[in-house]
Amino acid sequence: MIRRLVPAVAVVALLAGCSDSTDPDRPVGDAAPGTLRVLAGSELADLQPILDEAAKATGISVKFSFTGTIEGAEKVASGAAEQGFDAVWFSSNRYLELVPEAQKRLGTPAKVMSSPVVLGLPAEKVKELGWDGRRVGWAEIAEAAGAQKFTYGMTDPSASNSGFSALVGVAAALSGSGSALDAARIDAVAPQLEQFFSAQKLSAGSSGWLSEAHARRATGEDPGAEVDGLINYESVLLSMPQPLTLVYPSDGVVTADYPLTLLTSASSEAREAHQKLSDHLRSADVQRKIMETTHRRPAVPQVQLDGRFAVRDLVELPFPGSQSAVDGLITTYFDRLRRPSRTLYVLDTSGSMQGDRIDGLRQALVGLTGADESLAGKFSRFHGREQVTLLPFSSSARPALKYEVPQDDPRPVLDQIRTTATSLDASGGTAIYSSLRGGYAVLRQQIDADPDRFTSIVLMTDGENTGSEGITDFQLFHQSLTPDLKGIPIFPVLFGESATAEMEQVAKMSGGKVFDARSRSLSAAFKEIRGYQ
Amino acid sequence: MKRTLGTGLAVVLLLGVVTAIVLGQGSGEQAQLQTVRGVIGSEKLAFFADQRVRDVFAKHGLKVEVDPAGSRQIATATDLNSYDFAFPSSAPAAEKIQRDRKAARTYAPFSSPMVVATFDPVVDLLTKAGVVKTGPGYQTFDVQAYLELAAKGTRWDQLPGNTAYPARKNLLVTTTDPRDSNSAAMYLAITSFVANGGVVSSQDAEAKVLPAVSKLFLDQGYTQSSTEGPFEDYLSAGMGKTPLVLAYEAQFVDRVVRGDSSVRPDMKLLYPAPTVLSKHTLVPLRETGDRVGQLLQSDAELGRLAATFGFRTADPRHFNDMTKEKNLTVPQTIVDVVEPPAHETLERMLEAIAKQY
Repeated sequence: MIRRLVPAVAVVALLAGCSDSTDPDRPVGDAAPGTLRVLAGSELADLQPILDEAAKATGISVKFSFTGTIEGAEKVASGAAEQGFDAVWFSSNRYLELVPEAQKRLGTPAKVMSSPVVLGLPAEKVKELGWDGRRVGWAEIAEAAGAQKFTYGMTDPSASNSGFSALVGVAAALSGSGSALDAARIDAVAPQLEQFFSAQKLSAGSSGWLSEAHARRATGEDPGAEVDGLINYESVLLSMPQPLTLVYPSDGVVTADYPLTLLTSASSEAREAHQKLSDHLRSADVQRKIMETTHRRPAVPQVQLDGRFAVRDLVELPFPGSQSAVDGLITTYFDRLRRPSRTLYVLDTSGSMQGDRIDGLRQALVGLTGADESLAGKFSRFHGREQVTLLPFSSSARPALKYEVPQDDPRPVLDQIRTTATSLDASGGTAIYSSLRGGYAVLRQQIDADPDRFTSIVLMTDGENTGSEGITDFQLFHQSLTPDLKGIPIFPVLFGESATAEMEQVAKMSGGKVFDARSRSLSAAFKEIRGYQ
Repeated sequence: MKRTLGTGLAVVLLLGVVTAIVLGQGSGEQAQLQTVRGVIGSEKLAFFADQRVRDVFAKHGLKVEVDPAGSRQIATATDLNSYDFAFPSSAPAAEKIQRDRKAARTYAPFSSPMVVATFDPVVDLLTKAGVVKTGPGYQTFDVQAYLELAAKGTRWDQLPGNTAYPARKNLLVTTTDPRDSNSAAMYLAITSFVANGGVVSSQDAEAKVLPAVSKLFLDQGYTQSSTEGPFEDYLSAGMGKTPLVLAYEAQFVDRVVRGDSSVRPDMKLLYPAPTVLSKHTLVPLRETGDRVGQLLQSDAELGRLAATFGFRTADPRHFNDMTKEKNLTVPQTIVDVVEPPAHETLERMLEAIAKQY
């Protein structure tokens, strides 16, 4: 699901006993007896202790490589997954099965556990809303959200399955027709959906980061405005250190069912390994252990749900039956339903960026204007209504280039951004902090004119600061900012010879997150950041 | 006391001798076993993989190796040259193979009616709504009444007096994907029969029924591709996710026979009126494949074993004995059974539905 590539790669390396394989098609190496190579959603990482025990019991060890659902679907559909994997394991096969080229490559699935996507709110908030001790439906939740009676965080539906499930669920429930969604039905409930999403104040590319950011904002560790609740997996919400009260919408949910699915290309050894491992994971004792340690629901009827699951029988909402319906829903979410974004790109165009680096930067930006035709690329383009500001800098900040992408006909503005991006040139010094400071002046103006947006800053630089203002000056400046500016997350991108420690500090003070582009393209990093904007 | 002990000892001794003979035979024949390869509907995979079944075939000098595949796939896509027999799960698929391969005969050693598995509260609700009726010794699912509710796009929460399952979703039987699965094709056979008032056998009739039957699939949205998927959801996720699921009777019976407590007391079987039989039909492609067909048809031990997997056997005694032994309340005979349309008709309708996704 999640595209936190850096920790993922680190985990893989650890699991593989630090393999020397760097073949991008075979991140976990060649087929080997007793090994199941699995392309998976990163939320499966918490199953490692269970899998370690499974390895002891069955002799089959799992080697994970993590990716997002949509990227994963793309890898399966293109046949790339078959090159280096025996099986896939995501929170659900639903999206994969809607892509015909991916569907035909999926073999036997074994559902291992399940977890519905629900709303978690602080107990006092639930009481205040009058939802204590009674079930409420999505319509009532949407209405309360529209009236700003509570706020919440949710992951990006194109990057992470929990956000995706929530989007499908709320749209299906509100459409009221009760059957699967199509474009006309989505249109009919767009006003209600807009209400619901108006209370979403936090977005993230991964379920894990979302809960962490929520917790940090609650304690004041992050400067961003506190967010009441979260939409996330029941399992994630149940394992939070400060537990939230779970709201199970009475009209239904969308549930992740984690099918460990063989690829049809798998060898007969891998088939046997898959069978053995599935049987083990689905045995009653292991199912109970999964429930106890990961808070997910068991997949076999022999194991009874224990007391932690407050609501047992959950209505499952219908899921769209075609890829075009799903893609349409995600596109509508970005271009129309959710609060629009305001994104400021502070971009290093100093002399050291000459050559491949400036070219990589141009490509990364051009990719976001719709040139990236991959499934994942399609959704990460600049969205309708988004305010995009490019602030290139070298020895000092250059003039800010401001764009607003229209909702209905985005193409001309996207083309303008593309033209600007391709004409970026590299020369001069690297005045990081004075340029970053300058960015806040632009944002101040924009926020004053139109406060209700997801606002964030991307800071891309390939080296040490050469300007007269340093990190300490910036820190003082940042502390003096008004709360609305101080709470804007900064997403620094590590590239070339970036000053890693300083970038970490910038991310931390602003409640942002560092993205690493040193071992992958800037495009990949920029795409991943889209989930947080 | 003494006498009992004596008899017991004799039995043990006798058993020892029999075991020795069987083992002796087994190891002697092991080397001479002839391998027979078949491609089969995946519902029968567990049967062929069972050691007791393999032992019976071994006694007759055969080692049966099978590859699972979708029944529609077997009829249309699979290269059958490397197989000695094809064993799809439906008669229309078998017909097509028989015709294409000019097979002299076919065997239908076991069958299973299509059923709707559900839960007590849903049975009550649907009884009030006129969909569930008391049939001849068993409860039926009135397909005509169901089609009328589905045509109106009725949601569960719109059923009058429904407090047991007020879900805000359409009242629909959960099926598999009509693009992939045999059970979905069988469902289409049932619903098209009712919508047409008889077996669909002309293109006019196809055109007439398609709007109504397409809706039954399309309104479900996403559906899974193998029959195991929704049935497992029915067992483990329960009424919330899958209030009504289309299944083979054999799937349900198999679970009860296993006694793994996955079938709970509130789970109930309804027989669609009318229903169709999924006729597991073996088409011999070579001489050895024919022998497998003969054995499945006539060998009492294989018949008994098939019954424990929930299949209704060509000789109904095996199935009936098994249900008596396990105290299963399933009807001995199902009266309202109709024939599925011809393979070509079924395929054309399935393709027309697939195009609308």
